[in-house]
Amino acid sequence: MAVITVENLSKNFKVKVKEKGLKGSFKSFVKPKYNIIKAVKNISFEVEKGEMIAFIGPNGAGKSTSIKMMTGILFPDSGKIDVLGYDPTKNRRKLAYEIGCVFGQKEQLWTHLTPYDNFKFFGAIYDIPGKQVEKKIEELRELFELEEFMNTPVRNLSLGQRIRCEIVASLIHEPKVLFLDEPTIGLDPVVKEKIRTLIKRMNKEYKTTVVLTSHDVSDIEKLCKRVIIVNKGQIVLDDTMENLKYHYLNKKIIDAKMKEKVNLDSVEGINILKDKDYNLKLEVDLKKKSISDAIKLLNPDNMIDINISNVPLEQIISEIYKDGDK
Amino acid sequence: MLMEARNQIRVTRQSIQYALQREMLNKFTFVSNILFMIMNNACFIVQWLILYSLKDDVGGYTFKQVILLWGMASFTYGISRFFFRDSFELSETINSGKLDNYLVQPKNVLIQCITSSVEVSAIGDLIYGIIMLCLFEFSIKNLLLFLLCGVLGAFTIVSIAVIVASLSFWFGRTEVVANTVNGLMINFATYPEGIFKGFIKILFYTILPLGITAYVPIQVISHFEWIHILYLGIGTILFVTAAFLFFYRGLKRYSSSNLMNARI
Repeated sequence: MAVITVENLSKNFKVKVKEKGLKGSFKSFVKPKYNIIKAVKNISFEVEKGEMIAFIGPNGAGKSTSIKMMTGILFPDSGKIDVLGYDPTKNRRKLAYEIGCVFGQKEQLWTHLTPYDNFKFFGAIYDIPGKQVEKKIEELRELFELEEFMNTPVRNLSLGQRIRCEIVASLIHEPKVLFLDEPTIGLDPVVKEKIRTLIKRMNKEYKTTVVLTSHDVSDIEKLCKRVIIVNKGQIVLDDTMENLKYHYLNKKIIDAKMKEKVNLDSVEGINILKDKDYNLKLEVDLKKKSISDAIKLLNPDNMIDINISNVPLEQIISEIYKDGDK
Repeated sequence: MLMEARNQIRVTRQSIQYALQREMLNKFTFVSNILFMIMNNACFIVQWLILYSLKDDVGGYTFKQVILLWGMASFTYGISRFFFRDSFELSETINSGKLDNYLVQPKNVLIQCITSSVEVSAIGDLIYGIIMLCLFEFSIKNLLLFLLCGVLGAFTIVSIAVIVASLSFWFGRTEVVANTVNGLMINFATYPEGIFKGFIKILFYTILPLGITAYVPIQVISHFEWIHILYLGIGTILFVTAAFLFFYRGLKRYSSSNLMNARI
């Protein structure tokens, strides 16, 4: 059952164009010129209940604008949105009871208050009775491991601790859909991993549908089973993570340490990435050359060590972005 | 509907309480802000004392009435700045995309947004207003009328601030216009009504409603008439309604932003 349905959604922004310098400022003042930026162009997709999807794209691709329209922050120019049976443009307040939002770049907690006081405040915002909110805080305190800083003012918390509190604040009212807009921005790898584990645990425990945007490929790879890639306001790919890897992983990387030098310069389907001393790094195009053929060319008796790996997902996504640019 | 209103009041009360707690973190700044505001307002009494030593009547007002006008203006302004401080920053809030957090919450965006911080010095204005009433025109009836007029006047001042700030949805940066209009609303409220004539006076009873925030309240306290209360009530309702209509019409044009910001 789809919890989010987006049909032919579009949004334009009118941006003033100014030539450089003071002269440009005067010109723009007397006769302003505007550019219409098509931030989102006719996108359509559906999200099923309990799904964790990644909504990704380069900067300015239109992902945040799309999320803001789904949450009722922005009004679309055209198209239809249905989130949990509500149209965000008409039923923003009703929808707000059912969704949670975390914007990595925008803090919504009161910094002089403790996480506990903040959670109580959010409980009041969502009209949750006192005892019920206490119970929920207790439950989320355990799940997100907040014990040690529950009574420390938010301004004294580390960024990772704050983000955990932001997520908990957005979960106080048990939302059915959670929008996470770059929740791991600025965090170190250890804290990022922790946040990912907690999001996964939350999805499993509460069956919350999660729409995630992130520039960190590990977030996407470790959390989401489906990925929607947007570029220049359009969806350039909407597929499962598995399919994405299957269709785009038609290349393998071989790292080999050799006893003697091997010359593979003009072999079709093999691209030499690095050839230094006896260390060789190759990219094998599986459409043209199988892995076993590539290994045979290297000669197993001539090898000291070998490692075969996939092309990093980051590279695949970059290539999809580039394809979208063409 | 009633339940919704009750919940909104509960959240607004809590929001103001938290904002006050934040300001109370620094005891010295908190107390000095209040005291200096009282002293600042009191300085103007000297100016009027000198003027009234030369003349018995300024613009149809006696010395007592001018001081009461000052008290009324500072009390009204105090309520608006203390409880609805962010209505005076609304233009900036709209332009920098800070409405996002309020838009994803199931409460009234405008109320949530304008009540999320308090101005401590406004407590000085509130205290000063009450002191002036107590010194020059005190009675229980006058106190009640003073409080009622203060609240209605504050709603009107805030409504004007919201209407002007909402222009940002259409015209971008309108902070200067907003600050000017908000300044006019308080500055002219401290002069006797009689010195203004013709078009200016019409202005003060229509689009710059100093009639509601200052002049009629003084008449109500000096010579009580129900018709004045009716005028204040209807005027306030009209301005509050206009503020909500303007803001929500403009909200459809809100363009948000990706600027980083924190609730500090």
